[in-house]
Amino acid sequence: MGASGSGKTTLLNCISTIDRVTAGHIYIRGKDITALKSRQLAKFRREELGFLFQDYNLLDTLTAFENIILPLSISGVDHRKAEEMVHQVAQQLQITDILSKYPYEMSGGQRQRTAAARAIITNPAMILADEPTGALDSKSARALLENLENLNKNLGATILMVTHDAFTASYCSRILFIKDGKLFNEIIRGTQSRKEFFNKVIDVITVLGGDTANVF
Amino acid sequence: MYFKLSLKNIKKSFRDYAIYFLTLCFSVSIFYIFNSIEAQKAMMVISSSVNVFLQTISQVMNIISVFVSFILAFLIIYANRFLIRRRKKELGIYMTLGMEKGKMAKLLVCETFLIGILSLGAGLLFGVFISQGLSVVTAKLFEVDMTGYQFIFSPSAFIKTILYFGIIFVVVMVFSTFSISQYKLIDLIQADRKNEKPSIKNPVVTVILFILSLVCLGVAYGMVLKNGIAIFDHRLVIEMVLGAVGTFLFFASLSGFFLKVIQSNKKRYLKGLNMFILRQINSRINTAHLSISFICLMLFCTIGILSTGLGANTALSSGSRFSAPYDASFYVPGQVSIIDTFKEYGFDILSYADGYAEFSLYQQENVTKGLIFDKVKDMIPQENRARLENTPIAFIRLSDYNKLLVLQGEEAISLKDNQVALFSDYAELAQDLKDCLETFINKKYPVTLAGVDYEVYPKLQTKGVYTTSSSDIIVALVVPDWMTEGSEVQSTILSLNCTSPRKTMQYKLEDDLYAFQEKYEGVKDEILIKGATSEMVKSIMAGTKAIVAFVCIYLGLIFLLASAAVLALQQISEAADNRKRYEVLQKLGAEDKLINSALFKQIAIYFILPLALAAVHSVVGIKVANDVIAVGGLNALGNIVITAILITLVYGSYFMATYFSSKRILLRGK
Repeated sequence: MGASGSGKTTLLNCISTIDRVTAGHIYIRGKDITALKSRQLAKFRREELGFLFQDYNLLDTLTAFENIILPLSISGVDHRKAEEMVHQVAQQLQITDILSKYPYEMSGGQRQRTAAARAIITNPAMILADEPTGALDSKSARALLENLENLNKNLGATILMVTHDAFTASYCSRILFIKDGKLFNEIIRGTQSRKEFFNKVIDVITVLGGDTANVF
Repeated sequence: MYFKLSLKNIKKSFRDYAIYFLTLCFSVSIFYIFNSIEAQKAMMVISSSVNVFLQTISQVMNIISVFVSFILAFLIIYANRFLIRRRKKELGIYMTLGMEKGKMAKLLVCETFLIGILSLGAGLLFGVFISQGLSVVTAKLFEVDMTGYQFIFSPSAFIKTILYFGIIFVVVMVFSTFSISQYKLIDLIQADRKNEKPSIKNPVVTVILFILSLVCLGVAYGMVLKNGIAIFDHRLVIEMVLGAVGTFLFFASLSGFFLKVIQSNKKRYLKGLNMFILRQINSRINTAHLSISFICLMLFCTIGILSTGLGANTALSSGSRFSAPYDASFYVPGQVSIIDTFKEYGFDILSYADGYAEFSLYQQENVTKGLIFDKVKDMIPQENRARLENTPIAFIRLSDYNKLLVLQGEEAISLKDNQVALFSDYAELAQDLKDCLETFINKKYPVTLAGVDYEVYPKLQTKGVYTTSSSDIIVALVVPDWMTEGSEVQSTILSLNCTSPRKTMQYKLEDDLYAFQEKYEGVKDEILIKGATSEMVKSIMAGTKAIVAFVCIYLGLIFLLASAAVLALQQISEAADNRKRYEVLQKLGAEDKLINSALFKQIAIYFILPLALAAVHSVVGIKVANDVIAVGGLNALGNIVITAILITLVYGSYFMATYFSSKRILLRGK
């Protein structure tokens, strides 16, 4: 978490290899991804990462099914196996009945779940989510977050999420606060209930005081 | 201030403007080059008749240029609209900063002006440079000699180009000012968030439409192949309408149909980025099929026009050998001595001549060409059937004919008393007529005159009796001298060969005759003597084919340029919309190579589709056209190859430019 301009998205971009670091190293599954070449980078993104964005980033020309299967097509997975995987994921995210629809025919929640399905279909080491609930109403947001929690618990996917929103953050098990590009604080949920954790988050935010606390 | 901002804008987005700029430059140069043809004569040794033709060409070019300038104006306005569309957001920012619409229009006008000046300058420079080489082509077309090299510059073409393009640019300015006044700020600011809903068509309807389009095209092809295109009638209109409708339906349904077909093969459909490419094309062709159909039809015209233009060269030149057997010929209806008439007016025609023959063509009452053609009815060439049968047949005296043969340097022939010979110089140009007449001879049909049967000389006579550009003798009889006694004289002809140097002498004869004609124009009881020198016939032939060639190549190039430019601009303007999609692909881990190849395929399909259907249209069209002009022994294949090379060059370079521009726009983030 962190205020606008604190460096959340930059961190995400560096981890996702969309951006390059000027110094330092990033290790994922023991691999130094800052040392990878362009072809290896593509491979890395394909196999180890899943993306989830505020504006979904679905391809509007493809149906939900086609959007979800696209990463497998790019990796060259056999089409029978790929289709099976799509149906499996769709079942988990309860989007089986919208698979033949185009993004513009879906609701925001459905779009985001489709995007989530696309993000996890390759069974990535890490799912990077940039404000995934940003464009959703609270009901859809809650549904998505429950889905993500499920993915994390049942499929063991690591989810790195960037958010402004304390409620969204309260679904996480570990929160890092960033301020002006530096780590400011870290809280871990442990065994607390979501309500308790949410209050803790609010406390930290109050200490952080947006951007204004240390100005005076 | 505006000037500075516009200059900066142009510099900054020069690569976005590159295709627009190149198209403008090409248009300017083509315009200049084809309007500068008359100036080419500076480098050639020409007779007065060639001069007349060059003037005709430049008049024709004047007319065509008006038409061309309309096409170019549309093209440039269209291109300009695309550019403005691409810059909506930028304009939106100017507006939020408080710039008035009027000032924004001023900015755009300033930019158009600058680009106009730049492209005019570059295009004219290029045009002047290329037109130096064109003189060689012109000289070749007219079969005239060239003098030493001279720098050729046509001030009239130069001024005309500036004037015409100046007007076009003014029109463009008016249009862009108008389109700016239409924009709302909200649309400009949110320009890149435009969410176009793809119109998804029912697959069954798509398949039906596709089949319908194939039926339309099939019927049109069938009709064209069966009826030919020589006669313009309602059938041709139906063919054209069917062809056009078929083309539109074809592109409207093709991608949907194709998508269905590929989708049924899951393995192929789900491989790599195939799915993405197909969907890309499908989503765009749904909205763009109208323009693609137009481009396809325009390319079809281009192929037809270009191959005709290049073909005119060979088709028309093979005739000159037979129509100009003597250095000069004169013709007058009725029995008038041409030599004596000239002498009366103080013109000694024989002083130019090395050898000559003055003779008459005779005719007899009620003796028509049916005399011959009635017996070979089923072989009569279809064109002008009535003319072949119902007009009087001409008689040539054997002694005159032999004199003419000697003048040509050929062996004289001899006829028995009961023998006549068939004569037809036109047969050398029309194979079907030759076949028809030779069948008559081979079947040993007799020729019946005044109740007496005459044997036919076993060899068809095709050596021309006079030099002319306008007509040939379809069939005549060479008969023993006594048979023409009492016959009516149809016309008198003088054929002669000039003293050497023959070519120079012909030029002199021409010039002297023009002067002579001027002197006696309008005198009482004038006798009209028609005449032509072989150089003149040659230049008429050459001039005709040069006009056809120049007009066709001019129009062909402009059409080609316009279609390629429209396609390119569409692709590039869409590239910006596609940028997000390609970014998603990158995030999903598609390698650059894969993405590039997807982009390449997408653009290639877009470019190739209209060309492919146009090529199929052309195969049918050219096959039919070939049958029409095959009489000249046209070598169509060579012209088609040259046409193909030309199209590949222009079209191909636009394709490559589009690919690289799109790639730069799409992957700019990297």
